[in-house]
Amino acid sequence: MSNQALVDAEWALAHLDDGKVVFIEVDEDTDAYAGNHIRNAIALNWKTDLQDPVRRDFVNKEQFEALLSAKGVANDDTVVLYGGNNNWFAAYAYWYFKLYGHGDVRVLDGGRKKWELDGRELVSEVPSRAATKYVAKEQDRSIRAFREDVLKAIGTQNLVDVRSPDEYAGRLLAPAHLPQEAARIGGHIPTAANIPWSKAANEDGSFKSLAELKAIYEGAGVDLNKDTIAYCRIGERSAHSWFVLHELLGVKNVSNYDGSWTEYGSLVGVPVAVGDEPGTA
Amino acid sequence: MSTCGAVVGGVSLDHVDVVTQSVIQGVISKNGTPAKVGYVRLLDKTDEFVAEVPVSPQGEFRFFAAPGNWNVVALIPGGSARTTVEAHLGKIADLEIAVS
Repeated sequence: MSNQALVDAEWALAHLDDGKVVFIEVDEDTDAYAGNHIRNAIALNWKTDLQDPVRRDFVNKEQFEALLSAKGVANDDTVVLYGGNNNWFAAYAYWYFKLYGHGDVRVLDGGRKKWELDGRELVSEVPSRAATKYVAKEQDRSIRAFREDVLKAIGTQNLVDVRSPDEYAGRLLAPAHLPQEAARIGGHIPTAANIPWSKAANEDGSFKSLAELKAIYEGAGVDLNKDTIAYCRIGERSAHSWFVLHELLGVKNVSNYDGSWTEYGSLVGVPVAVGDEPGTA
Repeated sequence: MSTCGAVVGGVSLDHVDVVTQSVIQGVISKNGTPAKVGYVRLLDKTDEFVAEVPVSPQGEFRFFAAPGNWNVVALIPGGSARTTVEAHLGKIADLEIAVS
């Protein structure tokens, strides 16, 4: 697939030693990076680096600047993100970098899984990068949705629930590799279409072709001329779908609701639909 | 708040009340040896993707599914294998999946 936002392994191999290209592995499982990683890649931790330590929110502009400065990322560097879980976390970090206005950021197609399954080299040496003075922009609110935006969108704009059908219907409360122990209710936001993120990915974690991706959304009856809000459970899988819509297909007016079902499914007094149908406003 | 991310080998059963869970777990092997690198995908009965975990260094994986029939696909460098399993509430379904 040819797209500025996406690079393949051959492109990556040609740029591993380019000091102005920073490969960043993003995964909550820091053991994965510590065990091995793509040569010259650094790591960002989804939780400890990108989440505020107290509030349920992102790190602020100043914290993000301090983080990237310490990691040795400069404003004019090309950032290439990759990770496990079919690039969920890489897509999430990509959205995050875009939120704070980084200029050139890309995703390695297939991420860590495809790299591993293709038998490509992984190393344990951790590179050192000289500190920088990174300057972030203010958050781009056009790509981040909050609960008020979601409530306004019910029945009027596109809501795309990218969780699995069983989570959408309320039969599961979390992905099936996690214990089903959440205290919140199950279901989905009324009128949301269920288009699981996984439909956009091949078995090896790479993205499907642009024609296939377009057909997924058109086939689901989503009018992409309307504003679209994607959500999942905590905003990672929906960042993957946001990446597909906004960055690969070039659809404007797409935002990611990072509060997602953990927030919405715990709100008092909001409408909820259960079962396999979208429900009504 | 836990992440949606997959823990290598699957989440530990420590501190998990298995009585409330429908656990599917097992080991992936090739030529009789546990696969050190690989991924296991859980698909529902219509083959819709539900979850995926990387295997542990001992080739292990674990899912917390709902009761019912599931498809399990193992991916390792150079091969894959597929099987079906029925999960029951309060029980652990153990699988041994050999990739040829």
